[in-house]
Amino acid sequence: MKLHDVFARFKITLIISVMFIFSINPIYAAPENSPWGKDYFPNLELVNQEGKKVRFYDDLIKNKIVAINFIFTHCGDSCPAETANLRQVQKILADRMGKDIFFYSISIDPEQDTPEVLQAYAKRFNVGPGWSFLTGNQNDVTMLRMLLGLYREEIKSVSLAEHTTSFMIGNEATGQWVKRSPFDEPKALARQLGRVLSTFNAYHNSDLRTYDEAKKIPEMRKGEEKFRFRCASCHSLGKEDGIGPGLQDVTKLRNKAWLFRWLKAPDLVLAEKDPIAVELYERYNKVLMPNYKLDDAEVESLIQYMAN
Amino acid sequence: MKKIIIAYKQIRIVISQVQKNKFKLVPKILESVIVASTISASKTNSTLAVGIALVTSSLFVVTQAEAGFNIPTATVNKITGLFTPVPSPLCIAGSCATEFTAKILLFDEFGTKNLSSTNSTVTLPPVLGDCSSMPDGAALDTFLKEDLNSTPSRLANISAANAWEVKIKDCVPGVTSTVAEGRPSGEEFAHQRWDEFPAQKYFQSAQTGARDNGGLRDNRQMHGYKTGEFAKGGLYYIDVDGDGNPGTQGLKIRLHPALPVQDKNSVWTFDGTLPPKLLMAKYGEALIFRHWNALPIDVSANNGFGRHTISTHEHNGHNGAESDGFMHAYSYPGQFYDYHWPMVLAGHDSINVGALSVKTGAPDGNGGITQVPGDWHETMSTHWFHDHMMDYTAQNVYKGNAAMMNYYSAIDRGREPANLAEASGSSDKPGYGCNYADNNPISNPSSFNVNLCLPSGSGLDWGNRDYDVNLVLADKAWDTSGQLKFNIFNLDGFLGDRMTVNWEYKPYMDVRARRYRFRLLNGAVSRNFKVAVVQALTDSKGTITSYKSIPFYMIANDGNLMQHAIPFPIKTQPIDPVTKKPDPTWILSEGLPEQGIAERYDIIVDFAQVPVGGKVYLVNLLEHQNGTGPSSIRKLVDVIGVPAIKGVAATKTSPAIAAVPAVTVDGLTTNATYVADGISGDPVVGKFLEFRVQTYSGTDLSMNPVDYMETVTVAGKQVPGRQMIPVNKPTPAELKAAVQRTFAFGQSNGTDTTPWTVKTDDISGGGLAADEHRVSAAPELPILPNDLGKVEIWHIQGAGGWTHPVHVHFEEGQILKRGGVAPPIWEKYARKDVYRVGPMLDSTTSIDMAIRFREFAGTYMEHCHNTQHEDHSMLVRWDIERPGQTLRMPVPMPDWNGTTYDQSISLPTVKFGDLSAKKSFKFP
Repeated sequence: MKLHDVFARFKITLIISVMFIFSINPIYAAPENSPWGKDYFPNLELVNQEGKKVRFYDDLIKNKIVAINFIFTHCGDSCPAETANLRQVQKILADRMGKDIFFYSISIDPEQDTPEVLQAYAKRFNVGPGWSFLTGNQNDVTMLRMLLGLYREEIKSVSLAEHTTSFMIGNEATGQWVKRSPFDEPKALARQLGRVLSTFNAYHNSDLRTYDEAKKIPEMRKGEEKFRFRCASCHSLGKEDGIGPGLQDVTKLRNKAWLFRWLKAPDLVLAEKDPIAVELYERYNKVLMPNYKLDDAEVESLIQYMAN
Repeated sequence: MKKIIIAYKQIRIVISQVQKNKFKLVPKILESVIVASTISASKTNSTLAVGIALVTSSLFVVTQAEAGFNIPTATVNKITGLFTPVPSPLCIAGSCATEFTAKILLFDEFGTKNLSSTNSTVTLPPVLGDCSSMPDGAALDTFLKEDLNSTPSRLANISAANAWEVKIKDCVPGVTSTVAEGRPSGEEFAHQRWDEFPAQKYFQSAQTGARDNGGLRDNRQMHGYKTGEFAKGGLYYIDVDGDGNPGTQGLKIRLHPALPVQDKNSVWTFDGTLPPKLLMAKYGEALIFRHWNALPIDVSANNGFGRHTISTHEHNGHNGAESDGFMHAYSYPGQFYDYHWPMVLAGHDSINVGALSVKTGAPDGNGGITQVPGDWHETMSTHWFHDHMMDYTAQNVYKGNAAMMNYYSAIDRGREPANLAEASGSSDKPGYGCNYADNNPISNPSSFNVNLCLPSGSGLDWGNRDYDVNLVLADKAWDTSGQLKFNIFNLDGFLGDRMTVNWEYKPYMDVRARRYRFRLLNGAVSRNFKVAVVQALTDSKGTITSYKSIPFYMIANDGNLMQHAIPFPIKTQPIDPVTKKPDPTWILSEGLPEQGIAERYDIIVDFAQVPVGGKVYLVNLLEHQNGTGPSSIRKLVDVIGVPAIKGVAATKTSPAIAAVPAVTVDGLTTNATYVADGISGDPVVGKFLEFRVQTYSGTDLSMNPVDYMETVTVAGKQVPGRQMIPVNKPTPAELKAAVQRTFAFGQSNGTDTTPWTVKTDDISGGGLAADEHRVSAAPELPILPNDLGKVEIWHIQGAGGWTHPVHVHFEEGQILKRGGVAPPIWEKYARKDVYRVGPMLDSTTSIDMAIRFREFAGTYMEHCHNTQHEDHSMLVRWDIERPGQTLRMPVPMPDWNGTTYDQSISLPTVKFGDLSAKKSFKFP
């Protein structure tokens, strides 16, 4: 099901998800007196990337397992990384996305982030079903951030880029909410959403082993952890493209000095209209690689890691 | 006056902003701002003060939403957009709790039993009713009274089914099989050295919902309500239900006798009952703690906070990792988890292997000492154990999943002499001989009296609690109906607005006019304390006229007896945050040092210096505005007169405040203007425990801490004082060879400015959030068992204005440097397991400490003990590995049907740590 279908057929979806919840949730009911229910969350109006108006409580979170983050589309570094990482989680949870698990990326910059802009953003990241991008009244969004505990007071006026990149995952029906970081392992996030906040029988992970069969792995190589926590959500080490290109032979394909600079400050390289950078930018849906402000040694270790 | 208060408040708000944002500017500027404002305010008007406030505030954005206090930590008001704290009502339905009217609840002992037989016929009582129910209390008591219903085993018991399997299948669709024990299956979580340290004693308890105390532990108290102050006529004899049988049977869970009984899902605790529980354990007697999970099967039945899966961490126990309470080794409802606590001294394999010293011993029950192997310098005393569930520790601990644990040893026996002959060490009861009566210092091999004879009592061979009192301090909040509440969405940290001691709102305690040992535990979620001891001076009618600080002594830091007793109040030399040098001015600091969450300070207070009938108060001086950490240290004189705010918030214009009389403390007088309503001031500063001094007819033969100070005056000369447990410093060679590691709390890279991570060593360029899969450090055990444990140096760093009480599991360390210079005296002579970094006077932004790893291996943790920070990712997993081990431990994934394992990952620096720190660190 395509993303827009979910909202175009909102009522049907709702019925389906209610049925789904009946079929997989425990027979106990949501707590009537949960402090984190309809009295806590406002039912304010947001608009999704389809231009459709939705209610935060009734339509987005009620009886659902959700991940909610706050982004803005022209955010250079943290938001694309966050979006790319959530994309990985979404892949793992593909069979449940839009059924009982939903992702919401809410813009903290409603003036710029119109539904059209969000639509384009979602397409650039090739997000799948069950993930909506929302915008709304600035004060409403601020209120949501405060209620979800994701509002950083001391830096709010400095710049949007300083907004908290943490996000909340929760299950409205059981009243459980936990904060997560976008740089968590996608697998660990998927387990949180798919099992810890969810139900026993909805979760299947073929990676898990009994004690005897559990794989034990040696230490990571130098640069590997950096790659894993900062690069892997967009790039594979093989030929296969993700949000960004597959990196097989990248150290042979590209000049070392260029690669070094590109990893260190992709935003500057692009601003200089470097032809390779411009070409990559256009080819990969205008998703610019984040500037992680790596130091020289880190860049060096990454290049070494990719070379091996 | 009104204007002055407003100006003062504004300045304080600004100051807190300054502290948060530009800490380096703080101390001196802060002082001058306060002085300037006070002077100007006390003149004719407050223009200047307001001016300062406005000028300063223009540098920082201060809005209503962030200004001032947010206590109890409120959620934002949907209409106003402001955090508007609602005070926890002290009057509910016409019944009012007032301070110092509740008699303190003393801890109830779990009581251990010999592990000899099992009774396989008893089963955990079933859940009756729906999936959100818990077992009936009386049935649960009957069950817990019996012997264990299955023999503890080295490997987790997964052959039997969960006691509630039928109900679970009914409530959790898809579950087709269950296991009895929640401990992860297989070798990784098998009990280490099981045959070598066979469990001799056990106790069992069920974590379950609040209920009336059914008297389960009444006949398990060592004193038996028959000796000393616990006997009839003594100060601590109790018969709650008045049936003539002493004990706590009939006690309901209430935060004050005038407040409502807590709902079963408001409080979850051991047995589901109060008083809070205490484990009394002695060295050489290995223990099994069978912790039953009797919480609701329905995860949502929690009154808004708390998770029904639990893990139990014995805080700083020298235990195998399988019994340490790893955050991802947890039990589900209906399961149990057997924790094996071997009760061995660190150094067991390498030092004093033949158990040849009377200093490494345990009470034998009859005045003698049972010697054990190990290093006597590693003797520990005051612990606690508490929940460590991933993401839910704060909620579960706040809800009641915390107990205290006293370790007893030859040195710290809990036995003071009954008479002078015993004190001198008469031959038939050598264990009672007091070290102070021995001409040799304790460190001398020929010293024969090793018992420090700390204040305790003399009715029992060990573990007397007549004058040795566990006190857990915690701030709580409750809703309008009096039920405990917690805000799960305030991720900076949760603050309550009501101070409790041993789970009661501001209680009082009768004491004798003699020395007492108090074991103070900070059991809060996000609040640090700074505790002063103050005597009230009264006129002939008994009305308080003024206060004075009385001298008292810290004897143990983080539960470890120190080399010397430290006198308080004490003059200190704070470290200048800019120059990193000790300030040349020594300042008299009121009260104890700051006490972070999970820190334990054992103190000795001598009530003999107070007239009978007199009153002494414990006073908290540490003010918080929000959960990120303390905002300022208040002066006694400013807060001791804080009026109790009854039910509703007082306002600055309230006549009740204006009518506050002048208060004098230690000669300083003020009209207290502190408005402790949670909006203008912190309701948890001020007096919180009242001691009422009663006559003592005995002779106090307990240790006088004065003799154990760093220097003592003998015949007019300053000479070194006696020592309790000398600090056994690592040798220079060990320090030089040490692997060094750096853990930076709250730092991160440029694209993630949120302070929610720990940066390990300098490899990854950024902080990482907690992940049960990731091994960040892997110290190794020594190659030969009798090698000394390998010393490592860990650098713990904080950042910005936040406070992080960092706890390292398994082993205490020694602080080499604090803030780059020698630590203060109470840390210099201490072994610590909580390393507090932060902006306050007694904290600094860095600590360098030395720590040794030996005897046990496996997966441990290190984390911020502000449990809201811990739960939101400020936690690091590290593993102790065996020599030559090249593969990481897999990570357990517990579920209803048993545990599977997932792959671990590890940082490249796990073995060698931070090489640049190793190059640059200068040894003290």
